[in-house]
Order: sequence, then C-alpha cells, then structure tokens
Amino acid sequence: MNYQMQARLTKRFNRLLGYTILIVVAILITIPIASLLVTSIKQDSEYNAYPIRILPKVAQWVNYVRIFTITPFVQVAWRTFLLGFTVAVLTTVTSAMGGYAFARFRVAGSGKLFTIIIALLIVPEIVLLIPQFILFARLHLTNTYWPWILGALGGSPFFIFMFRQFFLSFPRELEEAAEVDGCGPFRIFLQIFLPNAKPVLATVMIFCFMGVWGDYLRPLIYLSDSKTLLGVKMAKAFVNPQGVTLNTVSMAANVLYILPLIVMFFLAQKHILKGVVTSGIKG
Amino acid sequence: MVRDITLGSRAIAKRRGMTRQQRRTLSFYTFILPWLLGFIFLGIIPLVVGFLTSLTDYDGINIATIKFMGLANYLRAFKDPDVIFSLGRTLIWMLLNLPIWLVMSFTLALILNQDVKGRGIFRTLYYLPSVVPTVAAITAWKVFLDKNNGLLNGAISLFRPGTAIGWLSSYAMQGMTLIAVWGGLGYGMIIFLAGLQGIPDELVEAAKIDGANTFQVFRHITMPLMTPVLFFQLVMGLISSFQQLNLPLILTNVGLSQGAVPPRAIYLYMIHDYQQIFISSRYGYGTALLWILFVGVILLTALVFWSGNFWVYSDAPKEGGQK
Repeated sequence: MNYQMQARLTKRFNRLLGYTILIVVAILITIPIASLLVTSIKQDSEYNAYPIRILPKVAQWVNYVRIFTITPFVQVAWRTFLLGFTVAVLTTVTSAMGGYAFARFRVAGSGKLFTIIIALLIVPEIVLLIPQFILFARLHLTNTYWPWILGALGGSPFFIFMFRQFFLSFPRELEEAAEVDGCGPFRIFLQIFLPNAKPVLATVMIFCFMGVWGDYLRPLIYLSDSKTLLGVKMAKAFVNPQGVTLNTVSMAANVLYILPLIVMFFLAQKHILKGVVTSGIKG
Repeated sequence: MVRDITLGSRAIAKRRGMTRQQRRTLSFYTFILPWLLGFIFLGIIPLVVGFLTSLTDYDGINIATIKFMGLANYLRAFKDPDVIFSLGRTLIWMLLNLPIWLVMSFTLALILNQDVKGRGIFRTLYYLPSVVPTVAAITAWKVFLDKNNGLLNGAISLFRPGTAIGWLSSYAMQGMTLIAVWGGLGYGMIIFLAGLQGIPDELVEAAKIDGANTFQVFRHITMPLMTPVLFFQLVMGLISSFQQLNLPLILTNVGLSQGAVPPRAIYLYMIHDYQQIFISSRYGYGTALLWILFVGVILLTALVFWSGNFWVYSDAPKEGGQK
C-alpha cells in the first residue's frame, strides 16, 4: 500500500517536473522572438529611451510600411530570393541525380566514390569555403553570383546521401517493368524516380533555399554592398538617405526576413523534420 | 551480324552482359558527373591550392612577387600567442556549448518521447529557432540582452533602477552559448527523438515486468541503446564547434572593416584566422591556420571514433545503419 502510494507520488512528481521543463524551455525559446516583435513596433526614440521601456506607447505599425518606402529591402530580398531559388533548383536536380546513381548502380568505382561522399560529410565547411574564395578571387568571379551557381551545379554530399537513402526504398519492380519496355536510365529517372520523390525534392529545395537566404559569410566576402544579399543587409541597421539610423525599422525588416522561412517550415514541417533525421543536416 | 549467329548462345549472353555492364557504368558516371566535377573543382583543387598557398606569403593580390616559405607559416602558428589564446577560447567554447546542448536536447527528447499533452506543439516550437537565420537570431537576442537598450535590463531596472549589465559583452562567451543552444536545441532534440523512437517497446516492457523502475530502464536500456546517436551528435558537434565563425563575427558586427575585433572572450580560432585572411591579407598564414584546423579536427574525430569502442553500444542499430 505504502509502496504503491509512493510510486504514484513519484510518477506525479515526474510528470510535473516534465511539464515544468517543457514550459520553461518554451518561454526561453519565445523570449527573443517576442522581444523582436515588440521592439519592431516602437519608435526609434523609444528604443533609445532611458530608462528602458518594455512596451511601446503607441504601436508603430508604420515601421512595416517604412521598410518598403525608405529602405532597399524589396530589391535585396528579390535578389536573394532569385538566387536562393536558382541554387535550390540546381542543387536539388544534381543531388537527386547523384542519389539515384548511388542507389541503383553498382559499378566499378561506385563504392569508393560513396565512401568519399560519407567522408565529405565530416569535412568542416570552412576548410573548403576559404580556399574556394581564394580561387574565385583569382578568376575574377568575386562580386558575381557564379560562386553560388557553380557550387549548386556540383550538388551537395548531404543531399546526395539523403536522396540515396530515399531511392533505396523504391521497389525495383517499377523500373524493371520500365526496362523491359525499353526505357533507358534517364527516362526511368525522369519519369519514375523524380515524380515519386516530390516530398524529398521539396525538402531539399527548402533546405537549399534557407541556406542561401540565411547565409552571412559568403555574401560578406564575395559581394559588394550594391550586390549583397539579405543576410549581410540585415546584420546592419538600415540608414535613411539623411544618414539617420533606423533601428526599429530594421527590426521590422528582420521580422519580414524570418517570416518566409517560418511559413515554409509550417507548410512542410513533417517532411523537413524527416529530412533532418535521415541526413543529419542542420536546417 | 552473321558472325553473331555463329556464336553460342552463352557467348552472346556474355557479350550482352558485358555491354550492359558497360552501359550501366556509363550511366552511373553520367549521373554522378555534376557532383564529380564539383568535387574536383570545388573540393580537391581548393584544398590543394589552399595547401600550396599556405607554403607562401601570398597577400591575395600579387602573384608575381609571391615567395615560397616552406613550412615557415606552420612554425609561426605554433609561436603565435594569439593562436594559443584563441585555441583556448575555442576549447572553452566547445566545453561550454557542447555538453549543455547535448544534455538539454536529450532531456527534451526524453520528456517528449513520453505521452505528454501538446507534444506536437512543443516539438514545433522547439525546432522553430533552427530555421531562423543566425543574423536574425542575433538581432533578436540583442534586442533582449543589449546593455543599454535591452528589454532584460529594462525589466530588471523596474526593481533595481539603472541596471546596465553587458550580457553580450561582459559575458560574451555565456551569451554566445545561450544563442547557440537556443538555435540548436530543436535540431538536437529531433535527432535524439528519432533515436528514442527506434528503441523497441518490447525491451522496455520486458524490463518493467522484471521489476525495473524508470531509472533502471533508463540506465540499462535507453542509455546504452542511445549511445550511437549520442556518438553521432558528439562528432558533428565537435566539428561545428571548432569551425565556429559566424556567431562571434555577427555578434560583434565585425564585417570586413579594418580594426574591428570581437571581445577577447569570444576571440575564437576561426576569428583569428578570419582576421589574418580578410583583414590583414595574410593569405599564406591564414590558409596554414586553416590546414592546422583541418588536421586537428580529423585527429580529434579519429580520437572520438577510437573512444567509441569503449562506450558506444555496437549491437544497437546505428544512425543510417541499413545501408
């Protein structure tokens, strides 16, 4: 009796402890985002005021209008979107091709090349990024978008691995039937594998897009201010033509900067989380 | 054609087989070609060029006056007090960031693996910071933690007027850890959760029937079966800790401007390297530091792999084990 009661109490205590941890972490997760939202509707004078005010006197929704009227947000965002989209499409196609090759062809050298893919997963990105910069600088390709395009054309070992894992689960019967009908590997890839891989294609595209959209280091070292991407632009406060810093407007811009990614995440949550698990990639 | 008919059927099959295999080889290499070219031109060649650069005094512009320095850059690195210092800071960064991240994301995964209400909502919320770009994450945290305008100091000031604690300057290392853990928590949790869901229910049930309590189940079933996942996380965490550059770079908004340096507390190894290359144009020395990092990370990873023999449970299904 006594023992049972004790056990029930421990169980209840554990539940309580569990929920407490979950809620405390949830608050910690929300705090910076909430701070950003609140401050994005303050006046700059309120942001700089002393003593520090937590809430704005009157919500300045006009900040969200001013992003478009007095900062180059739209141009930079459009540029970043186009580049992100292009990179996403190219990387996804070449990675899917690679994944298909490793999933379905066992030929001389394929095993060794796959070992290289696995080894590349643990090569620190920065070790390649800086020498690539040195090379591209010598080729006078800095301040162009070629480094992104060429990199995308090469695909990515993470995504090749992800596609391979996915294609391995495809039933062989489908392609065997197609082969009997005289389909070559390209038609099989285009007409059987790609159409049946839509969730993975979408996931990889989202990952790639997020990579370009959120990147800071590459646009910083490659591009001049007139060509730069949103990541670099967002790291600095916007300045109006008169030279006045617009702190709270740039915070509102930061909210808009995050928003598309959050929307994308909500739309494709299930697939994204699955992709994270199979490839170990950090979204 | 006529000769084909004269060959035995087995020989034809064999020849067809050969060409079929050759065709398959050709197809394989066609499909893999984009990656292969990328691997050669954006992987191997940069690595080699980087290594060759590290043997010179290249300044990023003049290739005509370049001088071969042998291993001088490498020898210099071992005498550079800033290298020793920044390595120390990187080590502290790793020892602070990695355990907190591992323990917290594992704990969250353990709780969410239970039958709790609002599981999906918590999971989504925790993962959300992972999709927030580093720049925006830092902006958001700065709004909260800034010394003069931050909301936290504002809130504390309600009780203790005039509070101006430099959460991100005086406590830069701790602040940076907070931001990194915030950003990586959901990712870590998802991977651990996937591992936990792979533990067969029968094992846990059997142990409970044998009278094991929650702690014993955790100690003798969950923990051993999770060591492969923990191992994977540890390796990935080590690699990314050592190459950390973005956080201190954006946190102090150094950019490419001359003279701006992050506070000493977060003067990580890659920041030192970044300064050498992009601020001081010491490409030769900078690439040497890069190669030292590369070799160091490989050695460390090898060490962790070796240590895995002693603590990683090998019968457990490994991450991506079914190859």
